[in-house]
Amino acid sequence: MSIILGVLEEGLVYAIMALGVYITYKILDFPDLSVDGTFPLGGALTAVLVLAGVSPLTALLLAFVAGALAGCITGIIHVKLKVRDLLSGIIVMTALYSVNLRLAGKSNVPFFNSDTIFENPFINKVIPQGLSDVSVIVILAVIVLIVKILLDLYLKTRSGYLLRAVGDNETLVTSLAKDKGTVKILGLAIANGLAALAGSVYCQQKGFFEISMGTGTIVIGLANVIIGTKLLKRFGAIKATTAVIIGSIVYKACVSIAIFLGMEASDLKIITSALFLGILVISNGREKKVKKHA
Amino acid sequence: MKKSVKLLVITAIAAAALSACSKAPAKDSAASKEGNYTIGIAQFAEHGSLDNCREGFIQGLKEEGIEDGKNLTIMYENAQADGGTGSQIINNFIAKKTDLICAIATPMAQAAYSGAKKTDIPVIYTAVTDPVAAALAKEDGSSVGEVTGTSDKLPVEKQLEMIRKILPDAKTIGILYSTSEVNSEAAIAEYKKAASNYGFEIVEGPVSATADIPLATDNLLGKVDCLNNLTDNTVVSSLPLILDKAGKKNIPVFGSEIEQVKIGCIAAMGLDYVDLGKQTGKMAAKVLKGEAKASELKYEVIKDAAFYGNTKVAENLGITLPSELTDSAAELFKEIK
Repeated sequence: MSIILGVLEEGLVYAIMALGVYITYKILDFPDLSVDGTFPLGGALTAVLVLAGVSPLTALLLAFVAGALAGCITGIIHVKLKVRDLLSGIIVMTALYSVNLRLAGKSNVPFFNSDTIFENPFINKVIPQGLSDVSVIVILAVIVLIVKILLDLYLKTRSGYLLRAVGDNETLVTSLAKDKGTVKILGLAIANGLAALAGSVYCQQKGFFEISMGTGTIVIGLANVIIGTKLLKRFGAIKATTAVIIGSIVYKACVSIAIFLGMEASDLKIITSALFLGILVISNGREKKVKKHA
Repeated sequence: MKKSVKLLVITAIAAAALSACSKAPAKDSAASKEGNYTIGIAQFAEHGSLDNCREGFIQGLKEEGIEDGKNLTIMYENAQADGGTGSQIINNFIAKKTDLICAIATPMAQAAYSGAKKTDIPVIYTAVTDPVAAALAKEDGSSVGEVTGTSDKLPVEKQLEMIRKILPDAKTIGILYSTSEVNSEAAIAEYKKAASNYGFEIVEGPVSATADIPLATDNLLGKVDCLNNLTDNTVVSSLPLILDKAGKKNIPVFGSEIEQVKIGCIAAMGLDYVDLGKQTGKMAAKVLKGEAKASELKYEVIKDAAFYGNTKVAENLGITLPSELTDSAAELFKEIK
């Protein structure tokens, strides 16, 4: 049971970040590497704020704002300074490493005894002791659902439609007399805001910030988005955002199964990747069958 | 909204079904009868020092009558330096209801403490340089919860004293360290504080990743009389490259523990990680046998630093190791492994 809880915990945290990657990678068609820096940015800021006595909820919001600012910078570098998309992400990601280190003060900042969104007097009062494991999942699920619903609603607004149009057909946006550059910057801001928000949640759950926590974030994000959208493609009615959340949980389930099987420690990664490959191949096969019958 | 909730539930059930398939064998191993223990060892990264810790830990348990294969089942996992994997490993151990979790290196110890806090599984850590800074122990060394272990704090003063004896004329010591490791930052600060007492100046060579090491090494080698190694995971993993570059310039590299001297550092006043592991294993045995709770044990440090030298490296560099050091050496290596 607690393995499933663990998978849900990890999966839901990374789902927040993956929703951001969904915006850049799937909607804007922009491979944005800055999330490797904005995910720990959210964590660093949270550690500092929480230790300074700021409420953990405020820390979440400020993390989002900080991430969004960093995303704007990636966008401005790309749009205004005309730097290639991949490179502008790399520039911001690299710079953020120093920023995060400066911000946190050192590479590892524990705050086990501070209030977090998961452990504070209010939560402890409302939820009985025995259910504290489940409370983490419930809180995470609430956050993920709020983010998902807000994102779904946003994508239906005028600005959201423009965002989608920039990825599909840039000329259309220009012909509507809208600046596609601004739309891109906005998309990057939201995406990196979500990555930083995820970083903040991650740190609050673990009780410490670690500078290396960001390494490979984009890889996880991309895998989550691709696994999710691939796996659930044939369920046409399912929203892509839901698919991404499920993809994140499936990703972490794969890692967990690999650990659970208890193979040689060095083989962990290859088993994980074999599971991914298996999932993608199976979902490919399904797709074809559906087409044949149609 | 409804749809997504439904889907989340479905995935949860699917995950449950998946893990149920492989659950059967786990139950057997978790059944801890009287005098029959199951422990999980979670190691943060793969390198010589940490591997030695693990081996020592298992030996220490054995010396206390808790032997792998007899009355002990060991589950070992390595996070390959990935924090996310680290917490999943801990979750796995908790799910399998191990009697104890042994966490090796600081990030792993923090993940283990954070994960096991809500359970009654004690955590024993090792290779945590500063348990107080890592929030695993209070200022007086007592524990913050069901968590205790051993620290691999470096004997900085003794190391500087040794370097002075081997290199009477040296002025500058270069230290490569990664900015992502909190242990190294603490050690650097201590070196800087103590260096002037021995007439040295410390030149820092910060790196943020393995990829930075070649450039940082070249840069540092142009400025210093010798290099000194910490127990920095990133730097130690690239030690062969650093030794090669330093060797070409005839600059000695000092190590901080036995493994580093074995592979080509000239000398070290350092820890034997196998001993550190053993000491940790004995603490774990106390907890397993119920003689003490983890929360009652203060964290421990290795008291005596021992001298390790490599005569082959010294010969290559044209340096003689002073006999006052070699006479009391814990181990002298005559070749480079």
